[in-house]
Amino acid sequence: MNGDFSLIVQILWIVMFILIITGLNQKIQLKLWIFEIKVKLNAIHSLLEEDKVKVRNMLRNLGVKAPEAPLSRVLEFFTIEPVEIEPTDIIKRMDHLLRTAESSVRRMLESALPGLGRYERSLVESSLSVVAAINVIYKVVKHYLLLGEKENNFILIMQLQYLMPQILRTVQIYHEALDAFMQGRPIGDGAGPLVVYNLLEKSTIRSRKVMDDTSIIEAVYRGRRLIIVKAEGPGSNVGHPGAVIDKIVDELKGGVDLIVTIDAALKLEGEESGFIAEGVGAAIGDPGPEKIAIERAASRYNIPLRALVIKMDLKEAITTMRKVIFEACERAVLYLEKIIEETTPNNATIIVAGIGNTMGIPG
Amino acid sequence: MPEDYTSVIAIILFLIIVLYLVYESYSRRPRKTVYVVRELLVCVKCNYRVEKDFEPGDFIGLVKGKCPQCGEDLKLKGIYAVERGKL
Repeated sequence: MNGDFSLIVQILWIVMFILIITGLNQKIQLKLWIFEIKVKLNAIHSLLEEDKVKVRNMLRNLGVKAPEAPLSRVLEFFTIEPVEIEPTDIIKRMDHLLRTAESSVRRMLESALPGLGRYERSLVESSLSVVAAINVIYKVVKHYLLLGEKENNFILIMQLQYLMPQILRTVQIYHEALDAFMQGRPIGDGAGPLVVYNLLEKSTIRSRKVMDDTSIIEAVYRGRRLIIVKAEGPGSNVGHPGAVIDKIVDELKGGVDLIVTIDAALKLEGEESGFIAEGVGAAIGDPGPEKIAIERAASRYNIPLRALVIKMDLKEAITTMRKVIFEACERAVLYLEKIIEETTPNNATIIVAGIGNTMGIPG
Repeated sequence: MPEDYTSVIAIILFLIIVLYLVYESYSRRPRKTVYVVRELLVCVKCNYRVEKDFEPGDFIGLVKGKCPQCGEDLKLKGIYAVERGKL
């Protein structure tokens, strides 16, 4: 009996030795990783299919008889980044491409959904963007999995395996975000527009106009002239606050005493959700054109540029606004009032920009 | 005989480590929190506040009903998600 046991242990050691010197253990490891990636990829695929069904039903309810055509057209829509090795005019080119992409998708939906109101169309547009994001993640992960499998690329599969929990978490966040976009509920990213909306409630409104999908509201607050800039709501819209601020500053020939931007900011792990922080600069998370427009306008006329951010994680930013963020927005209004009163005298002109998606928030 | 004991102990330790790692990887998975979407209605005159379930299509600033205390308009002040357990 003792001899048999020793023999089994010896055989096990020999098998392990052979596996190690021939590299077979790595191949077994590779197969295990591929299996785990496939399980998670299938989970992503199920979420994608579930979301496609939801959007198809949404389109059917809005009167589209064949929702597959606009769905597949928007899902596969892409934007090619501008040339980076020649930086001259890169912002102008990027802005042009982003605006062209925006108007192209809008036109596609207008032709597929004629007679649909702006509010509903914006919700469809954003819902499709969410599904498109999941679709891109699914296709890219599948690509690297198949490539790694085909080439027996141990390193590629290993990296993918270690990234999969993070990727799956991101997909689940997008999946959860879809319901908010389909029903037009305010999301965490709407913190900026909500803060300026609350500030407006405390001010006397003088005039309103809309330029470039962005609302410009002139109001008076404690003897100061406020120019509130936010995306036009309550549809799903981020507007073009940078371009609009640039234009306003030029129209006023630099006669602005302060520019304040309020936005949602991604928190670091360990930071508290709903924490408010202030600083200097343009608080806006666009790819570049809007942010640089604000910076250029402020620096051209030497206008102080202040920023107020409300911290949250990605999930809180793109899903229905959490109560803790809503409460932070109420506190942020008081914070904003303090900044305005501390830094500007009576009769000052202040541009206050609420940056973010204004879904569910009017104005 | 002592050699056999060593092997048995090594195998038991190996199994304990494997079981611990499996347990840890499952226990670390965050529990899924269920949220319900609520809307906060505030009276424009007396500041009476009431929280209700969200209805699709509602947006902040919408006038929705009358105040049961003073009869003035109830305005939608906020739409937010609350953990089901914290309602």
